[in-house]
Amino acid sequence: MEELATENKGQNLESEMEDQADASVMTIEIGPAHPAMHGIVRFTTQIDGEEIVDMIPEIGYLHRGFEKESENSKWIQITPYTDRLNYVSPLLCNIGYSMAVEKLFGVDAPRRAQYTRVIMGEISRITDHLTCLGAAAMEVGAFTFFLWFIKGREYLWELVEEVTGARLTTNWTRFGGNATDIPDGFLGELQERLEKIKDILRECDTLLTRNKIFIDRVKDVGVLSKEDSISFGFTGPMLRACGIPYDVRRSDRYSVYDDLDFEIPVGSVGDCFDRYLVRMEEMWQSISIIEQASDKLPAGPIAIDDRQLVLPDKKQVYGNIEGLIDHFKLVMEGHQAPAGEIYMPTEGGNGEVGFYLVSDGSGEPVKCRVRPPCFNFVSAMPAICKGGYVADIVPIFGSVNMIGGELDR
Amino acid sequence: MNEIINIAINILLDPFIQTILKIVVIIFMFVMPLATVLTLMERKWSAMIQDRVGPNRANLPFADNFRGRGALHIAADALKSIFKEDFIPRGADRFLFTIAPYFGFAAALSVFAIVPFAAPIGDFTFQITDVKPGLLYIFAITSLGVYGSVLAGASSNSKFALLGGTRASAQMLSYEVFIGISLLGIFMVYESTQISVIVDGQNTYWFGNLIPKWGIFTQPVAFVLFFVAMIAETKRAPFDAPEGESEIVAGYFLEYSGMRFGAFMLAEYIAIVGVSVLMVTLFLGGYHIPWLHLWESAPQALVTILQILKFTLLSVFFCWLQLQIRWTIPKFRFDQTMALGWKKMLPVAMANVLVTAIIILLAN
Amino acid sequence: MELKVKTVNRIDGFQEALYLPAIFNGLRLTVRHFFKNLFGSREVVTIQYPEEQRHVSPRWRGRHRLTRRENGFIKCVACYMCETICPAHCIHIEAGDHPDLSIEKYPVVFDIDELRCVFCGLCVEACPKEAIRMDTGVIAMAYSSRNRFDYTRDLLKDTYRPNKETKYTDIPLPKTEEEALPNSRGIPST
Ligand code: SF4
Ligand code: SF4
Repeated sequence: MEELATENKGQNLESEMEDQADASVMTIEIGPAHPAMHGIVRFTTQIDGEEIVDMIPEIGYLHRGFEKESENSKWIQITPYTDRLNYVSPLLCNIGYSMAVEKLFGVDAPRRAQYTRVIMGEISRITDHLTCLGAAAMEVGAFTFFLWFIKGREYLWELVEEVTGARLTTNWTRFGGNATDIPDGFLGELQERLEKIKDILRECDTLLTRNKIFIDRVKDVGVLSKEDSISFGFTGPMLRACGIPYDVRRSDRYSVYDDLDFEIPVGSVGDCFDRYLVRMEEMWQSISIIEQASDKLPAGPIAIDDRQLVLPDKKQVYGNIEGLIDHFKLVMEGHQAPAGEIYMPTEGGNGEVGFYLVSDGSGEPVKCRVRPPCFNFVSAMPAICKGGYVADIVPIFGSVNMIGGELDR
Repeated sequence: MNEIINIAINILLDPFIQTILKIVVIIFMFVMPLATVLTLMERKWSAMIQDRVGPNRANLPFADNFRGRGALHIAADALKSIFKEDFIPRGADRFLFTIAPYFGFAAALSVFAIVPFAAPIGDFTFQITDVKPGLLYIFAITSLGVYGSVLAGASSNSKFALLGGTRASAQMLSYEVFIGISLLGIFMVYESTQISVIVDGQNTYWFGNLIPKWGIFTQPVAFVLFFVAMIAETKRAPFDAPEGESEIVAGYFLEYSGMRFGAFMLAEYIAIVGVSVLMVTLFLGGYHIPWLHLWESAPQALVTILQILKFTLLSVFFCWLQLQIRWTIPKFRFDQTMALGWKKMLPVAMANVLVTAIIILLAN
Repeated sequence: MELKVKTVNRIDGFQEALYLPAIFNGLRLTVRHFFKNLFGSREVVTIQYPEEQRHVSPRWRGRHRLTRRENGFIKCVACYMCETICPAHCIHIEAGDHPDLSIEKYPVVFDIDELRCVFCGLCVEACPKEAIRMDTGVIAMAYSSRNRFDYTRDLLKDTYRPNKETKYTDIPLPKTEEEALPNSRGIPST
């Protein structure tokens, strides 16, 4: 009988909620416009006093038709849309998409391009974690922490602008290389800013990590076991917080991460505290990756010399008829990707960001599917939240780091 | 002419008129200005903590875009809350909804009735009234404030407000207890609950004239406990779970707008001033300036001015401290607020009373 | 390189349970920031926006502009490359005969609907004549009317100066600047 009731609940929760209108259970709508909902998402929550009895997440408020749009675009025209997928780490999506297309073509970007991609990608990972932790901390009341983190993020976004020409709408990678090389004196500036970031991280660590009030808010809150995390398809910091060292950078050995030395921070319990600590530590690791990559940065071209993939040098276009024709063909006809389908996973700020591309050889994609990491997290929200207090939704959802752009696409 | 002056003096000497005047002066020259300035200072000071500039954009277009480094935001806020739509949600209890904000407001203001601002000159006291029960009056009156939040929460016809209202009532009722118990030690040390006696008791010294017997030295534990309990009582961060911006949006005053919302906000800042004033009075010697009695030839007027100055400065310091704390640490969850009170503060407060009692017994 | 794992350190001991040490440490930090910004070396990072402009990088992709030849005509030859590659389909060009016969074509109509533009810079990359650029450094475009976002007349004006020294003319040279500019069809109403 008991079992039957729970089963029914799962299928028919809405009507169930109405049935219980007279009981002590109260239904509240958290979202779509609610201070703690970073993106736009709605949780229809049933509470008994302060305790959460049940929850239905409803997504789709930020649906922009990315995948449909991609079907009607050329390959290159999708790149600018990928940086809108994740608005806290746009470059990681750029890189992921370009690497997917490169895999489709069967080419690799030159070493220098790979290394600069790693540097910029890790900068993006830091901005991602800064935003996520800052916002989560702000919602449990540590407003100063948030603004100091945002200050740090600003330092990095200025660097991103220096390289790509935009802070968020980067559109920086191309197939077989990058649009621009890093400017002169960039590495020195980068080092200076990283020192500032380190200062901020240390300060904020003092402010929060050992504060009992904060520990109380996050410790043993939102625990999800290893097994459940895996079956929900968790990746990234959320999975690592449970103690599973799964990191696409290591397990898939893509790009030049194999040459770089870094540790994968893992938690032990899988609660919000672990997720916080894992993200904190990942920022330190990213800083160390950036430092190593800038030391090892090789000289060389930033894009391969393949007229099928990369626009010819402007000098060629202006002065040479062949260059002009190649340029014209590539712009007018687009990249002629071979038929086939590939899946390319990369480690985004939040977990595994994968691009699944299908091509029929016509020069336009048939399908471009994104695997957003936070889709799985949001689908697990009811499982994580059940039994907790209303106030626990805040740190849990903060640690989930939902990015509406990639979730709803 | 002389007659008019005589009448005026007689009126001024009338205790009733005097009390009215004192109320007006204290409220309009101390409490309200400080509370209003605090609304701006909260934003300015937090900005400085966070490496920002803070609000500075309100200007007077007709006076060469005068900005006054943001001071005009006070006026802008006032104007805004006056002219905003006064919204009452459908299904709300109009009567309760309307009066609820003013409960908290009144409770916050009435704290100042018994606080002395300077030493009495002859018959004239710098205190609205020196009631015999003293602090017991404060306990009684602050608990009135809970009606404000509960009624607001219950009458708004909003689930979030209801949650906030219940949280507020539970929190305020329990912290009443700790306020009382934490002050027991003070009552024992100064052997009274009357404010003037407590303040005068803090003007005595240990070891000749070396260390003043301030509350903070005689009762350091009570100092911390009372401060924490008072912050919780006024529902300020880190104990602002009843407002719970991030989970229940704004708690019990979620549905308020315009002047009524303004009343809640102002009551909050008045409460900050109230807490500071009480802290100074009970633990930092009130208006007494330590070692000033050694300067025997001090003119009375100067002493009074210095006393008022000391009192005000220390009050401002405590206001600042409260804001600084609010912008430094995260918030408690609602049940943790209660656990902190009942499981941690209560035993400590009890132990404090016990230890104080033993020490007093041994000392006698 | 081999996989290295580091377990994060969950500190929650006796010192934390006292609440006060951590609060005190935090207060020390915030008070330091407070006084640093109150007196002396202000570390304030915000800028006073309209009066103070943010330094933008030379690569910043801002508002578009059309570039000119030495003799004053716009460089654009109406080759439609930018229109083709634009992912937002926000460029609209109509070609016409250039007064200078050696150039053949120029855009009679050149519209960029900046409300649809996604500032990707692909048009700049695609242009074979370096005729369109995004280096104006304009960060914010805020207008009160929708029509102002149609970037033809006002925003490309500074780039066009009809030049009397042009040799091969067939059509009479435009007399006023207005006449010489590409036209605008405006933002299509959808
Ligand atoms: S920047 Fe991109 S969207 Fe804007 S006009 Fe150029 S190609 Fe089109
Ligand atoms: S690509 Fe350049 S030359 Fe061609 S139409 Fe566009 S702006 Fe003109």
